[in-house]
Amino acid sequence: MHRFDATKVILRHIGNRPIVSNLGPTTDELWHAQDRARNFYTWGSMGLCSSMALGMALSCPDTVVALDGDGSLLMNLGTLASIGRENPENLIIIVWDNEEWGQTGHQASHTAFGTSLDQVASACGIKNTARVDSEDELEEAFCHALEAPGPWLILAKIKETEHLPYAPIEPEITLHRFRSTFEQSQNNPLTKPWMNSSKTA
Amino acid sequence: MDWAETISNSLKKSGISFISYVPDISIHQVTKLLDTDPYFRVVPATREEEAIGIAAGAYAVGRRSAIFMQSSGLGNCINAIGSLCIVCRLPIPMFINVRGELGEFNIAQVPMGRATRPVLDAIGVRHYTLENLNTLSDMVDGALDLCYASREPIALCLSPLLHRGSLA
Repeated sequence: MHRFDATKVILRHIGNRPIVSNLGPTTDELWHAQDRARNFYTWGSMGLCSSMALGMALSCPDTVVALDGDGSLLMNLGTLASIGRENPENLIIIVWDNEEWGQTGHQASHTAFGTSLDQVASACGIKNTARVDSEDELEEAFCHALEAPGPWLILAKIKETEHLPYAPIEPEITLHRFRSTFEQSQNNPLTKPWMNSSKTA
Repeated sequence: MDWAETISNSLKKSGISFISYVPDISIHQVTKLLDTDPYFRVVPATREEEAIGIAAGAYAVGRRSAIFMQSSGLGNCINAIGSLCIVCRLPIPMFINVRGELGEFNIAQVPMGRATRPVLDAIGVRHYTLENLNTLSDMVDGALDLCYASREPIALCLSPLLHRGSLA
């Protein structure tokens, strides 16, 4: 299974749910598969994709989907413990596990030597995990996760392939466009965006 | 009103209802106050960098958020401030208890305490030092206004002169 095809499987069922994507090829391939206002792309902050999804899940009613990677999640395993602790039902973490740092020269990552991120998640109290090796298995697991209360961690084993071009969208535009789709930023006077300050300009 | 209540009030005035933090004994008074107030959702993180990610996620879906940490933890999250908050223009206030200054007993706290403000300067984050209860409300309110007006993270450095907290 290649990540670009797997990304399309997720998009087929995502509806209007928010996605936050890990830096590098995950973000680029998400943009190429389907650019949408509710895609939050990242270009840096390695390791924080699932942490951001946790903050989103705790602050909005929608089911939030993180597209993380093995190298990035290994940098911030503590966030699995935070997800287990907070236990949000509306969070699905998908880990594209290619067992390597794909963008920096294909160096083998720790998941090539026995680290099972789904088992780490289980040990952190994330009750629902799945491990998938094909697009069909991913589709079945993802559709189940959309219906059953989470949090979920789906470990998807993928094979690395040629990388697509850089996603051509500015980070600040990503944030502005993404945030403006959430109702509370428009209607809740306490969380209005910067333009609606109670002070006059 | 004490310093912790003053900060809590300022957060409410700015509509900040989501807090992510890594504990620090000297500012436990304020994080505990926030945690027991139903207005706030307070989420402990395992590391300060993670706290940035969690708070950024809350802001991205329309909820204003802030972070509490110790100066040692600032050293754990510089890249997140740069490659997430600054490039996305995420206005996230960071309350940092600065160790390694007056009354410090732990040598390990001194280097990062000394580096706190220069590091913030180097990455372009404005910072203000909170050390006087009389001006606290004006300073925090003003800094939060500036944070949202500029759409940039901002740092509020808490001094032991303000909280008189024990060190640990």
